[in-house]
Amino acid sequence: MEAFNALLAGFGVALQPMNLLWGLIGVTLGTFVGVLPGVGPALTVAMLLPLTVKLEPTGALIMFAGIYYGAMFGGSTTTILLNTPGESASIATALEGNRMAKAGRAGPALATSAIGSFVAGTIATILLTLLAPLVVDLALKFGPAEYFALMVFAFITVAAVLGNSTVRGLTSLFLGLFFGLIGIDSQTGQPRFSFGVPELLDGVDVVVLAVGLFAVGEALYVAAYHSRLAETIEKVRGSLLMSASDWKRSWPAWLRATAIGFPFGTIPAGGSEIPTFLSYATEKKLSKHPHEFGKGAIEGVAGPEAANNAAATGVLVPLLTLGIPTSATAAILLGAFQNYGLQPGPLLFESQKDLVWGLIASLYVGNIILLILNLPLIGIWVKVLEIPKDLLYAGILVFATLGAYSLHQSWVDLLTLYVFGLLGFAMRRWDIPVGPAVIGLILGPLAETQFRRALSISQGDASVFFTQPISATFLAITAALIIVPFVVRHWGRLRRG
Amino acid sequence: MHRSGAEIALSLGVLALGVGVAAVTATLPSEGGYARIGPNFIPAVVAAGIILLGLWLSFEAFTGGWRKRDEQSEGFEPSPFLWVTGGLFAHMVLIGWAGFIIAGTVLFLCVARGFGSRRPARDLLIALGLSVGIFLFFVKLLNVSLPAGWLAPLLGGAGI
Repeated sequence: MEAFNALLAGFGVALQPMNLLWGLIGVTLGTFVGVLPGVGPALTVAMLLPLTVKLEPTGALIMFAGIYYGAMFGGSTTTILLNTPGESASIATALEGNRMAKAGRAGPALATSAIGSFVAGTIATILLTLLAPLVVDLALKFGPAEYFALMVFAFITVAAVLGNSTVRGLTSLFLGLFFGLIGIDSQTGQPRFSFGVPELLDGVDVVVLAVGLFAVGEALYVAAYHSRLAETIEKVRGSLLMSASDWKRSWPAWLRATAIGFPFGTIPAGGSEIPTFLSYATEKKLSKHPHEFGKGAIEGVAGPEAANNAAATGVLVPLLTLGIPTSATAAILLGAFQNYGLQPGPLLFESQKDLVWGLIASLYVGNIILLILNLPLIGIWVKVLEIPKDLLYAGILVFATLGAYSLHQSWVDLLTLYVFGLLGFAMRRWDIPVGPAVIGLILGPLAETQFRRALSISQGDASVFFTQPISATFLAITAALIIVPFVVRHWGRLRRG
Repeated sequence: MHRSGAEIALSLGVLALGVGVAAVTATLPSEGGYARIGPNFIPAVVAAGIILLGLWLSFEAFTGGWRKRDEQSEGFEPSPFLWVTGGLFAHMVLIGWAGFIIAGTVLFLCVARGFGSRRPARDLLIALGLSVGIFLFFVKLLNVSLPAGWLAPLLGGAGI
């Protein structure tokens, strides 16, 4: 009931004309940039962050929620119409969506993706509304030791458990942790790793790291390896409407995918990649038309797309209630909060009630705007897709450098951006994930603060992390996540050998 | 799987970074009040982590290559890579001096050339339009200051 009243007050904020306008601008810009091939949600949010520097926080964050959702939707449009090995979260959609488009059924594929995103996004937002106050109540009982243990748990799952290789995931994480150390130590004022460069005293900005890794790194990579690779854009022919049988096959997939996507979003499992694949596998297994899979089965688009959106909303649960980002995109969103001196977490629900609930209410509004806007505007998005690669990357880099330069009006930030670009190039080329680095940069300093606070309270006694039950549990799960797969692997080898 | 020079170089690079972080950490103060640990504690942990990961990566690189690598990209083309790099460095030099519009235009032209464009006139028109558009949008609408540089007389006092 309390949550309901808070949400009503939130709608009072979200439906103010200016905030509606920011939401609308956010969704439109997010979709526009998200449609650009090679630009994923994380980069979209990072590139558009400089647009909001002069906005007041509520409007800016509402715009960001719109950008976040728009970027997700834009990405799926690209995946369906363009056969490109794009974002990990949309690979599952590409399997069926692109084949539907090739078979002349781009319209229904886009429609099931848009309506499924709306259904899943709305249900997931309702779940977020119900769940957030419960998590906040729990989180208010957390002390620094519990937070630190929780952050270690998030680090290890995101870096070591996901991805191809534990060692490369951890390497990415530790690079991010190192970048997070650069600048003035928040507890003592001691400068660290800044070598007297004033631009480094402020620390590494998440926009510079994300744009460097994702935009500059990607541009260098594509230039060096794929500059002549031609892509084919499928035409949107015929009706956008779904037939009765399309509806009948889509809606169970949307609901199942929401049930899969939302919980995966709320735990540190790297965002949308796992739930979209799980949803694809589920639909393939349950389908009455298994022979269509691989040739353009609509369930194979409906499920992963809905799972993607439900997970994207689920990610906001730990982000808003605990201040813990579980995907690279969420880490950048957390950076947006920090730009305003806001630290998401249980206290924000008390101190900035209007802002938090206004933001949650704007998610409902954003979903509706997306649904109304996107299908009618599909012609525009197709035009955006047709921008040739040379102009596309040139434009992306002009915009990307602007974001870095506007921080201090200094070329030093541009040099940093290029260094991160080279790093992003190398990481892409030699299969090192970049997400953990972005999460490490944002979450590392927060974890250090909690660690030192916990030790201040215990007068330097490190056993505090193992004697508090919640903290001990998180650390035990974390240890198990690393040790169990290792033991299982070597046990199997021993028994065979 | 075979030994890869690049993997060995990257692994040793990670190791070297870890040693560098450790060396700088040694110069940081260690006093830390009630917590008994100072601003050098977490850097020491991170340095140790990077060194261990560097050793682990090196071990893999020397014993048959990094494990579970994705499909390889072959056929590195230096020329597009250098055009993009050159554009970014030209932009870095020009932006504070010649201004945002000129720097952005040069960057755009270099990147487009690197991605194989052979239509400089078209690129120039689009580059100028985009840079002027972004400049006016940020300076006039968003109140974000960007350097006007050489074009300051034409821009009527907008920018810095």
